[in-house]
Amino acid sequence: MHLLSPELLFVISILAGFIGAMSGMGGGVVLIPALTLLGLDIKHAIAISIVSVIATSSGAASAYVRDGVTNLKVGMFLEMFTILGAIVGATVTLASGDQGLFIAFGVVLLFSAATLFLRPHDKGYLHRQDGMSRWLELHGNYYDHAAGETIQYRGRLSYVGGPMMFGAGFIAGLLGIGAGALKVLILDLAMGLPAKVSTTTSNLIIGVTALAGTSIYLVAGLIDPGIAAPVILGVVAGAFMGTRLLKRLTNTHVRRFFLVVLLIVGVEMLLRGFKVI
Amino acid sequence: MTGSQDKPTQPANTVPPGADAGQQIPQQEHVMELLIGYLLLAGVLASVTLLIVGLVWQKIISGHFTLNYLISGMNLFQFVTADFRTLLGGASFGPRIFVNLGIAALLLTPFIRVVASVFFFALAERNWKYTLFTLFVASVLTYSLFLR
Repeated sequence: MHLLSPELLFVISILAGFIGAMSGMGGGVVLIPALTLLGLDIKHAIAISIVSVIATSSGAASAYVRDGVTNLKVGMFLEMFTILGAIVGATVTLASGDQGLFIAFGVVLLFSAATLFLRPHDKGYLHRQDGMSRWLELHGNYYDHAAGETIQYRGRLSYVGGPMMFGAGFIAGLLGIGAGALKVLILDLAMGLPAKVSTTTSNLIIGVTALAGTSIYLVAGLIDPGIAAPVILGVVAGAFMGTRLLKRLTNTHVRRFFLVVLLIVGVEMLLRGFKVI
Repeated sequence: MTGSQDKPTQPANTVPPGADAGQQIPQQEHVMELLIGYLLLAGVLASVTLLIVGLVWQKIISGHFTLNYLISGMNLFQFVTADFRTLLGGASFGPRIFVNLGIAALLLTPFIRVVASVFFFALAERNWKYTLFTLFVASVLTYSLFLR
């Protein structure tokens, strides 16, 4: 039995949305550990978190898509894989034991921390395309306001990116998170898209992926409206504030801050998984 | 990668600063971007508004924000129609229906985005490849939202 009042849920969710927006990984990474620490069982926490992921993803994607940076075709192609992954992931969660979920969460967080050391490739984006990527029309351009020029790009290795996105969708559905770090990694390093296109397209994919996972948790009766309502409102408010602050901070500050958060939460979840604490 | 390899690739990515970026994007695609962008924004705003109305109403009538009920074994469409059925059955109009509709609006936001994309790729762009891909995503989502 948890002792979470709507007011407390709202405050925790503001914090989770705030940190999630600054890190670019969404609120789930902080929300799920916090909810479980306060007595909610991990499956309910995962189910509530994945609903809030739809809100933060849709809110952010609305601006990115209108700016013309998001590549809708890349997004639509990869969503075919992520939604299937999310449905399988959420189904596995329903059948899993709690300890295994804590361990999986800890491992994914520590892996995400490691990805912060990877630098986005910036050696040019007009790759020689393989036949499949050309057939899929995975190319585009966007106007970079900071650089004051139009960046053109061609995506590659779609036959690698698609199946890998199934894995990212699986983790999103399994753990109730956006799994944005993994999606950006695939778009950026495997498919060779510019960093801005990768992050904004990942954001668009996250919403649909989270919906696929949510549908499984909804039918399983794990979405409690009394908990979901204050969490959605808090995460949206926190994400709004986090995005505003993000514009004033340097990338290095954000990276350092988020690295610390990921390491602490990741180790804490692993220790709980192994019943050390 | 060596520094000498970087030099020729960089200018190849860019268009001169004076060029009009708007001309690079086909008009139809830009309409699609605006449509999807505003659909997503409207969905989130509708959801947040409904949830706030529901919770504030709950606070006014009961003195607290706590809502104690579970959705058990219902898919999205059953979840939405269940409340309308109770209303039609003569039950009073309360905060619960606003909270339920707020959650439903949020869940429907990405779903409607995908359905709108199907029509756009099919009717405006006449891109059958992407109509098929989008239709696949829409079908899987519809199936999962009808699961029971």
